[in-house]
Amino acid sequence: MDSLNISRHISGQFNEDLERIINLVMQMGGLVEKQLNEALESVSQGDEDLAKKVLSNDYQVNNLEVVIDDECTRVIAKRQPAAGDLRLVMAIIKTIADLERIGDEATKIAKVTLESLTSKHKELLLNLDNLGRRVLECLQLTLDAFTRMDVDAAFKIHQIDEKIDREYEALMRQLMTYMMEDPRSIPQVMSVIWSARALERIGDRCQNICEYIIYFVKGKVVRHTSVEDMKKI
Amino acid sequence: MISVTPKAVIDSPNKIDLANLSPEQVALEIKNLNLYYGEKQALQNISMAIPKGQVTAFIGPSGCGKSTLLRCINRMNDLVDICKITGEINLHGENIYGRHVDVAELRRAVGMVFQRPNPFPKSIYENVVYGLRIKGENNRRVLDEAVEQALKSAALWNEVKDRLHDSALGLSGGQQQRLVIARAIAIQPEVLLLDEPTSALDPISTLTIEELINDLKQQFTVVIVTHNMQQAARVSDQTAFMYMGDLIEYSDTNTLFTTPSKKKTEDYITGRYG
Repeated sequence: MDSLNISRHISGQFNEDLERIINLVMQMGGLVEKQLNEALESVSQGDEDLAKKVLSNDYQVNNLEVVIDDECTRVIAKRQPAAGDLRLVMAIIKTIADLERIGDEATKIAKVTLESLTSKHKELLLNLDNLGRRVLECLQLTLDAFTRMDVDAAFKIHQIDEKIDREYEALMRQLMTYMMEDPRSIPQVMSVIWSARALERIGDRCQNICEYIIYFVKGKVVRHTSVEDMKKI
Repeated sequence: MISVTPKAVIDSPNKIDLANLSPEQVALEIKNLNLYYGEKQALQNISMAIPKGQVTAFIGPSGCGKSTLLRCINRMNDLVDICKITGEINLHGENIYGRHVDVAELRRAVGMVFQRPNPFPKSIYENVVYGLRIKGENNRRVLDEAVEQALKSAALWNEVKDRLHDSALGLSGGQQQRLVIARAIAIQPEVLLLDEPTSALDPISTLTIEELINDLKQQFTVVIVTHNMQQAARVSDQTAFMYMGDLIEYSDTNTLFTTPSKKKTEDYITGRYG
């Protein structure tokens, strides 16, 4: 946490406020990671209880978002953060919005488990599992980078998303073939498509969080810029 | 895939490029200014250009030299015996420390307002016309006109128009400070120096003065020294951060308060100094 350099304020209370917020973000990150992990687990194991648990735990993620939002508002009102502190608070406000959405995507994935799929369609889920592992790893790396505010890692993770997108496209093609071969399977395949889509969106949101890390550390906005322009930073 | 690289910079309309000011944009040019109080060097090789029609703020911890630098601009330090200055401050391309400069004339062009309001123990009217009377102006119509103009510019007219001949000492602190500003601008200076103009005022009076500063820059170049960083962030277009007699960073206010380029600046404005 000292890499964030927040412990050196003259105001000890300001340090405490920021530390508390950062700890809450870590807690929220950990929770979201657990939700995604369990959602994927429930899909691969066909464990309906686990899927239900993921659905019922989503409220915790939502609660944390509200709590952290509140804390950030209070810090802005009371401390008027500037420069790095201001960028940190802004980055956190944006990050928790993305984390909350990742939590929502995890519940969408868990819902697939509750669909009654025939054994034939269970094969489809294997492919989903591969994509899921990659996305989960991406989320873990992102949360690590956030904890350390590691710009280099953020740049690297930002690139991983492209691989996720390609894998997602390949999976889409495969699922489309399925549907063309056997139109009766469309409802089941669609639910797999939705969860693949959810995974792809999680990748995008990890990318967003990496952009906030870069914004905090470098003070540069890299959203909506091309890869070439990002490299110049 | 179409990738769009936006020129995502939304500039304020009066944003200027500090590094490349044209001569017309410069109100004051400070060049290699060094100042010594006896043996002690209080300002070290300061060079900066203060743009015309804008508000420039000096910030920094106590004793960093910001007030000293401000005072140099209208030669207030001449009154300090042990003070020695090298370097130049150019107003209209002429060094104000040149041998033939009339200091009274300089101070007419560069007005100053201090931390504590210091109205003269005279009527409100006489306070405002004081400078004009010294200049030899006695025409009643001209003076009346000037009083109304100056008090309106200082956002005080509506509060005092019915009691112009009452003592200025009966005004509140915030009103007195605005009166002093009216007195300073009545003689139509080019530059207005404000040395912590709100540090003795309550928050509401402070906001009134800040609003006033924003209006004043239409007519004058304003240079303000302030201890209150949020105030510098609110009122100024450019901010200079000084530390131990050095000018550490000088850039447009938006940049300085969101992405300062120097570590010392960052530490100071985020409250890590010390």
